[in-house]
Amino acid sequence: MTARTKTLLGFAIVAVVLGLVPNVVEVLDAPGFYLTFLFTMFFWISQSSSWNILTGYSGYFSFGQGAWFGIGVYTTGILATKHGWPFLVALPVAGLVAGAAGLLLGLVVFRLRRLSGEIFALTTLAVSFVLASVARLTSLIDGGRGIFMTGTPLPEFLGDFRTSMYRMTLVIALLTVLTAYLIFESRLGWGLFSIRDDEEVARGLGVPTFRYKMTALGTNAFFGALMGGVWALQIGFVTVEDVFNIRVPLLVILMAVLGGMRHWMGPVVGAAIIYTLTDRLNSAGLADVNQVIIGALLIVMVLGVREGIYLRIRARWIASGVIFFGAMAALTVFDLTSSLIWDFSYALLITMAMLLIPTPLWERLTRSRITAPPSDRPPEQPVPSKTAGT
Amino acid sequence: MDVDLLAQAAVSGLLIGGLYATMAMGISLSWGALKIINLAHFTFILLGAYLTYQLTTTFGIDPFLMIVVVFPLFFVAGALLQVFFEWAKVDEFRSLLISFGLFIIFTSLVRTVWTADFRRISSEDNPYASASIFIGGVALQVPLIAAFIAAVVIAVGTSLALSHTHFGRAVRAVVQDAEMARAFGIDPRRVAVILSGLATAYSGLAGVFIAMFQVLSPTMTFAWFGIVFSVVILGGLGSPYGALGAGIIVGVVAGVASVVWGPLSAPLVTFLLLIAALLFRPSGLFRRSPA
Repeated sequence: MTARTKTLLGFAIVAVVLGLVPNVVEVLDAPGFYLTFLFTMFFWISQSSSWNILTGYSGYFSFGQGAWFGIGVYTTGILATKHGWPFLVALPVAGLVAGAAGLLLGLVVFRLRRLSGEIFALTTLAVSFVLASVARLTSLIDGGRGIFMTGTPLPEFLGDFRTSMYRMTLVIALLTVLTAYLIFESRLGWGLFSIRDDEEVARGLGVPTFRYKMTALGTNAFFGALMGGVWALQIGFVTVEDVFNIRVPLLVILMAVLGGMRHWMGPVVGAAIIYTLTDRLNSAGLADVNQVIIGALLIVMVLGVREGIYLRIRARWIASGVIFFGAMAALTVFDLTSSLIWDFSYALLITMAMLLIPTPLWERLTRSRITAPPSDRPPEQPVPSKTAGT
Repeated sequence: MDVDLLAQAAVSGLLIGGLYATMAMGISLSWGALKIINLAHFTFILLGAYLTYQLTTTFGIDPFLMIVVVFPLFFVAGALLQVFFEWAKVDEFRSLLISFGLFIIFTSLVRTVWTADFRRISSEDNPYASASIFIGGVALQVPLIAAFIAAVVIAVGTSLALSHTHFGRAVRAVVQDAEMARAFGIDPRRVAVILSGLATAYSGLAGVFIAMFQVLSPTMTFAWFGIVFSVVILGGLGSPYGALGAGIIVGVVAGVASVVWGPLSAPLVTFLLLIAALLFRPSGLFRRSPA
């Protein structure tokens, strides 16, 4: 059994297990907020994974996730409410519209002779602002009035609203992560990594850099908008301020950086952690502290765990597993908190504290040399930035 | 279209362009000369504004006196921040992320201290908010005139300092080749610390002027991102005159656009300008200055 078959099998198992969650919740009569918690997590997993396909793989830093998200929200919003399209038809169209917009942007910026990574980053930031002002100005899109999504009919087979949201976000999140994985393992993925490491050399060696970058950008935009389209339903009343703000690009970056941008699993882990923490802090009424913690976490992670949490978990997988599941079991068995989500977040925090121990100190602490499972990637180098000089 | 209205828009745009230049100067210098994309500058501007609001409201200090308070205070803050960056040995990419973290922290601190309510210096403490000078039917707001003058002084002063003083030569040497500069007895870290202090002090000053004529809220930074980065890129990194020129261009174009096509079109036009500039002059419109 090859590594790929194993991973794909893992995907199938995860898909089936998560797919059955709504039924389990129904049978156990568990509170509905578990589903909401999970589908919001799926939203972030998909957003950060799609962002990572461009930025983590190719090294071109994008602030533009909000733009793709916004295109998704508004396309489905307009098609489903003003033109009466069935929601599930409007959704892929939204993805394609954003994909086309992404390719258009790529056509402009990737043709620049001396495009530095920083200029790319700020251009993508600018695109979101342009889209915001276009949406605000054009009465066909928004015109400053907003769109009500609350009455949008959904197909019967998806279940009630919460269950529908769960199923749609789950499918899109699985598709995004699967795509991220398949690209990671493919020729396209290796090409993108070579662009990230040294674009000149990559081009010299015959990597079709332009085409690969366009593919990554298009894929990023497509999935960002697909999930954005579903999210329009969750927002309910769509306004320009809600959609084109700095929140989506900001959190997506945090999640991928925290999890690790050099592996397809990184954003998944990062999104799960950050979303759980922000959700818990918000529900404890600490929204402002939340921001401070998130900011501090970003700084600590960038300085302390350069390779990202995911690769560090792999390097310390025994300790991570023991601590996480041990804490989870202890918290659940002794019933120390009010819900499973709290157990999960405390277990996460404890595990992360262990992961933050610097590598030299860790090696001294674990003299018995716990070795990591064989890695399918060469040792990680610090991410080089795309500066004009390199 | 009213000609007076257009003239008013152009002149106001010119003046507010000076403010944009002051806001962009710090970021441009730190990016161009220190290789640090410091998003925390946006919160320095915000902090400068709120500090001005607080001190003028509490103690009744003249807002213009705040320049003397804010400049040294923010110089120290910026110098300390650079000490931290030097200690952490960040590259451009990491500086973006770390200062993003600082941005989030400072913004939420501002929100905690001053709440999300709109704040404005009362008219007793700030006689300049509504003061204008009229020249042939065109009104010039006093705070904007001050911001414009400050921008010119900062741009000329910084540029002259970079080209004529020992410190300026040291900066340029470090930018060109830090190792070689070290060999000639320049301490790159000290140069960087001083430069970061200056850049931060400029951002603080921009905040003082903003507090003089605008309503403050913690989320106003988001509206600045687009304009400030347009100015930084149009002007060319690390170029004081470039930032000034680009600030004026952006100010005038946005001002005129908002009169011709409505106020919401201003950001759109600004960004189209930016994208056009990226396509045709990727290194900035003004490519002459040192650093």
